[in-house]
Amino acid sequence: MRVELRQLGKRFGRVVALQDVSLELPAGSRTALIGPNGSGKSTLVRALLGMLAATGELLFDGEPAGEDRRALARRIAYVPQIAPRLAAPVGDVVRAVAGLRGRGWQQIAEVAMQLDVDLAALGKRPFRALSGGQRQKVLASLALAAGAELLLLDEPTASMDPKSRAAFFRLVEALPTGTTVLLCSHRLDEIRRLVDRVVVLAEGRVAWQGLAGAYLDDHAEAIVEVDAEGEPAAAWLRARGFTQGATGWWSRSLPVHERARLLGEIGRNLNGQLRDVMARDVERLQPPSPGAKP
Amino acid sequence: MGFGAEVAAVARLDLAEVLRSRWLVFCLVVHAVLAGLFVLVGLRESGVVGFTGMGRALMSWSHALLFLLPLLALSATGQVVNAARDDGSLELLLSNPVSRAAYFVGTSLVRMAALVAPLVVAMPAMALVGAGAFGQDVPWDFLLRGIAVSTALLLCFTSLGLLVSTLVRNQAKALMLTILLWAAGVALIDFGLIGVMLQWELPPSAVFALAVLNPVQCARLALLSAAQPELATFGPVGFFLANRVGADGLLSIGIGWPLLLGLTAWVWSLGAFRRRDLV
Repeated sequence: MRVELRQLGKRFGRVVALQDVSLELPAGSRTALIGPNGSGKSTLVRALLGMLAATGELLFDGEPAGEDRRALARRIAYVPQIAPRLAAPVGDVVRAVAGLRGRGWQQIAEVAMQLDVDLAALGKRPFRALSGGQRQKVLASLALAAGAELLLLDEPTASMDPKSRAAFFRLVEALPTGTTVLLCSHRLDEIRRLVDRVVVLAEGRVAWQGLAGAYLDDHAEAIVEVDAEGEPAAAWLRARGFTQGATGWWSRSLPVHERARLLGEIGRNLNGQLRDVMARDVERLQPPSPGAKP
Repeated sequence: MGFGAEVAAVARLDLAEVLRSRWLVFCLVVHAVLAGLFVLVGLRESGVVGFTGMGRALMSWSHALLFLLPLLALSATGQVVNAARDDGSLELLLSNPVSRAAYFVGTSLVRMAALVAPLVVAMPAMALVGAGAFGQDVPWDFLLRGIAVSTALLLCFTSLGLLVSTLVRNQAKALMLTILLWAAGVALIDFGLIGVMLQWELPPSAVFALAVLNPVQCARLALLSAAQPELATFGPVGFFLANRVGADGLLSIGIGWPLLLGLTAWVWSLGAFRRRDLV
């Protein structure tokens, strides 16, 4: 589904939540919506869902959303940031959503199983009695099994454990190619794995938009840590900018896009001397000034 | 999926919510306790306003309900929409293919049924238990009148509660407003109004208008309509109306006005719910 926002605006009293937001999400695109708290991310998502009346134009496949959103809602699925604390049993919640979307229990249960949730076992428990992670997995299962053309994900893995997050990534990656994804997230691993474009909102306006790779280069860096034995290994690492810490590990930071190349070189050159190697990405609090060396 | 199926899906989920919150059980227990008390106490006395025995018990119970039902209805519904908005359940459900109207209709039906069903069960049950235990005849006419009037009053205040929960986003403010509504309903019966009239020197026509517009007062008059109109029992407004419109008129007003007021409030809240921002 292609989504176009033209000069979208929204005020809550005197507070301007969105101002002149113009964006295009091509069909099949995967976009991350990033910004500090209060920047307008959730307001934008809710405007897309038709829960807020916003000024400007909102087009889905070139057509205005219109008054009756039911037909459109069938094509959109949503994972909220905070799962509601419903007293109803999990089974009833799943059946209600499945019924509204014309999906079968089994379809949802299969997706849930991949996220490590057994709906049959949880069916009679009150939804609010589940842990935050379980609730989020159930909601993710409902959205992923919906067969929607537009998937709106508002910090969908905030409460998930690493294993479930990995499974969630696989499920999103396996969505049909035409599925448009809009992801609100601050997590670099989600941005790297799930999206190809990034839109940054600040004070209700689009502050930056571009490719995910460019965003990661500007806002993230990789840290590679190596535990190796022997003076040849130490000399090799020193020559490549690594410094040794108090624990004996060598570490250096570098642009995210150079991480894979460096790890390959380490594997080839320190064969037999390598005890362990770790790599992680961190967000830079302050982007480097122009011309600064990475 | 059609409108009816959407309403059914929302209603099933909301019913599960209501059952889990034990609201239905609470209502049944309140009605049963009240009923038990009045059967035990009310049957000992007789001869008041033309009712005896079981009729007296039902009469007393119905009067107690007139004050209790609005409170039950307002507390059960005054925070339905705003709480769902705050906890995200509105956002979750309405992100699915369900219209706002279907959501509102489904939720309203469940809340109304959850409040009316215990009453419809408890009233005849009380009458039958009383009849069996004390050998009294069940005054079916009065029982039906009581159920009809109480149901109309419940529906009226359920709709008023839904209106408050739709229009007032802040749950604490909504709670405050529902308490004020209840207090106004209970206070603005003609005995209370006479005091106001004397204190503030209001014209009698204003007092009459206030009393007649109050659904609690209308319901009270409808319950009393089976008895001979006496000033001491009916109060000045009731006495005037009873002589003016007769018993059937009082009953019609007592059922019709709360229903009309409730319907107006419900339609208003549906319109506001469909137009306003949901989150």
